[in-house]
Amino acid sequence: MKMKLSTQILFAFLLTLLLSIFDTGSNYLLSLKVERNIEFLNKSQEIVRNSTRLHKTMIEMQSSFRGFLLTQDVNFLDGYKNGRTTVPELLAEQEEFIKDNPTQISILDSIKSLHNMWLVYADILISAKEFSLAKKSPDSYRFFFENRLKKQIGKNINDDISRKFAEFDRVEYGIRKIHSNNLIASIKKTHYFSLILFMLTIIVGISTALYIVFRTSKRIQKMVKFAENISDGHFTTIRDHSRDELTSLSMSLNKMSEKLQRNINELENRNAELDKFAYVVSHDLKAPIRGIHNVINWTEEDLGSELSPQMKKHLDIIRHRAKRMEDLINGLLDYARVRRKTAPQITNVNEIVYQIIDSIVPRSFAVEVYDLPIFFTERSKLEQVFENLISNAVNYTPNKDGRIIISCKEYADHYEFSIKDNGIGIDPEYHSRIFEMFQTLREKDETESTGIGLAIIKRILDEQNCSIRVVSVLGQGAEFIFTWPLNKN
Amino acid sequence: MKKNTILLVEDDELDVISFERTLKRLNIHYDLFIAQNGKEALSMLKDKENPVLPDVVLLDLNMPKMNGIEFLRALRREKKFHDLKVFIVTTSSETADRATTEELGISGYIIKPLSYTDNTRRADSMDSFVQFHLTKILNEKGY
Repeated sequence: MKMKLSTQILFAFLLTLLLSIFDTGSNYLLSLKVERNIEFLNKSQEIVRNSTRLHKTMIEMQSSFRGFLLTQDVNFLDGYKNGRTTVPELLAEQEEFIKDNPTQISILDSIKSLHNMWLVYADILISAKEFSLAKKSPDSYRFFFENRLKKQIGKNINDDISRKFAEFDRVEYGIRKIHSNNLIASIKKTHYFSLILFMLTIIVGISTALYIVFRTSKRIQKMVKFAENISDGHFTTIRDHSRDELTSLSMSLNKMSEKLQRNINELENRNAELDKFAYVVSHDLKAPIRGIHNVINWTEEDLGSELSPQMKKHLDIIRHRAKRMEDLINGLLDYARVRRKTAPQITNVNEIVYQIIDSIVPRSFAVEVYDLPIFFTERSKLEQVFENLISNAVNYTPNKDGRIIISCKEYADHYEFSIKDNGIGIDPEYHSRIFEMFQTLREKDETESTGIGLAIIKRILDEQNCSIRVVSVLGQGAEFIFTWPLNKN
Repeated sequence: MKKNTILLVEDDELDVISFERTLKRLNIHYDLFIAQNGKEALSMLKDKENPVLPDVVLLDLNMPKMNGIEFLRALRREKKFHDLKVFIVTTSSETADRATTEELGISGYIIKPLSYTDNTRRADSMDSFVQFHLTKILNEKGY
């Protein structure tokens, strides 16, 4: 499935959000259920309370009725009279509460009819009692007393009512029981459901997050590696078929890599061309100089003493200029050759330095050489650096009391060589300029300096990623310090 | 005594003068024929009426029209020039040139002074070449 990265993240987010909504929803439904159950419980309590009040009122009526019959005190009848108004009210109220429950309705109907029966029975006895009290004739009451009261008709009705009430309450408690069982079950179910949803949310959330992180970090790592390759000069391309935001980054990197590769190839080609050009030009430029030199020699040989001193001087000037021209060409040739790779070999720096000293340092110089290493490196280039620096030291130091000190310090990954003289020195003002091409601080005719030597050294050291610096004050000698890689392989 | 004959194939006038002066300085007398390129040298060698019959050919490599290697190849194709002694006298120090000419058969490979600074040393070698090698080779042929 090819999806944009942002779509993937959005998708994962929506999925976890959806699961959370389900979870919250189920909990909300549960809370509604609990709320409804509390309402039901309140109503149920009301019903039971009502039922108790009703029953109590009826019992009060009964005791008030019995009190009157026993004491013949009319005051006792207050409870009975109250009951006659209260009971219908309570009954109506109760009927409203239980209108959805046929069982309870029928029980209440039975209670109602039993109560009405009892009322008929009680009314008759009360009237009879009142009548006998008023007429002072107990007989009329006695009849009812014998036939009704003594036969326990009232008591039977009352017992029935009590039973009916008990039954009524039992039904109510039964309903309550069912409700509470249902509630517990749904709470349990919701808890279970909620737990599963919660775990699902966590699993989905974590796994999608991990998936995205893993995918992207793997690809980003690939890109980082790729970028490192580019910086190391390996212009490869990266493969990415996901078609998302990172893919466009990969594509840009690829484009960059290709472009760099093209430019660097072009640059290398041009450099190679330039080197070849410099080499060929220098080579071909030498032939005419040799010709000039030959012709001057022949002229001198042929004419000898016939040459006027003026003519001799002019011929010397031509020869001198031709020599300078040749030095410049040789310098250019050396400069062009720097770029040509040479094979590394075991190099005894001591040996190199002594050979150079033998060939170019006049005997009048005092030369000190300290601890030079033997190691594996591009010998000819190191040799050229030493040759140019020692030659400079000789050129810029007066022969009398001339002194050159050559030493070396070893570091973890490079050597630091120093060539120090007690010559004329270099004004710090010029320190940054001396490594540029054709920079010589002397007048043209004064010496054979071409100004290429230090430029060649700089170029060789740049190729080796090394550095050179000069420590010098005008009139107090100069010390050139350069580093050279110590290749442990 | 018959003078030895040398054919110098060289386009650079200065080199020709230089060689002549060397011979003169060493007081050696030869009949010197000069060709400016390979083509001219071939036609001199193969001239119907008055061919040049050199004892030795001194051959430059870098020349217009027909260069030294082309000339040498053409020379070796002809049976009668198969054993003609040829010295290469050139500024080229390319190993490829040396290998090719040695394969075609040469008696020596002399590198001309390239620069003014190594002029003296190489000039010495030129002198000694003329003085010893050339003379010796020509003498061996029994002239």
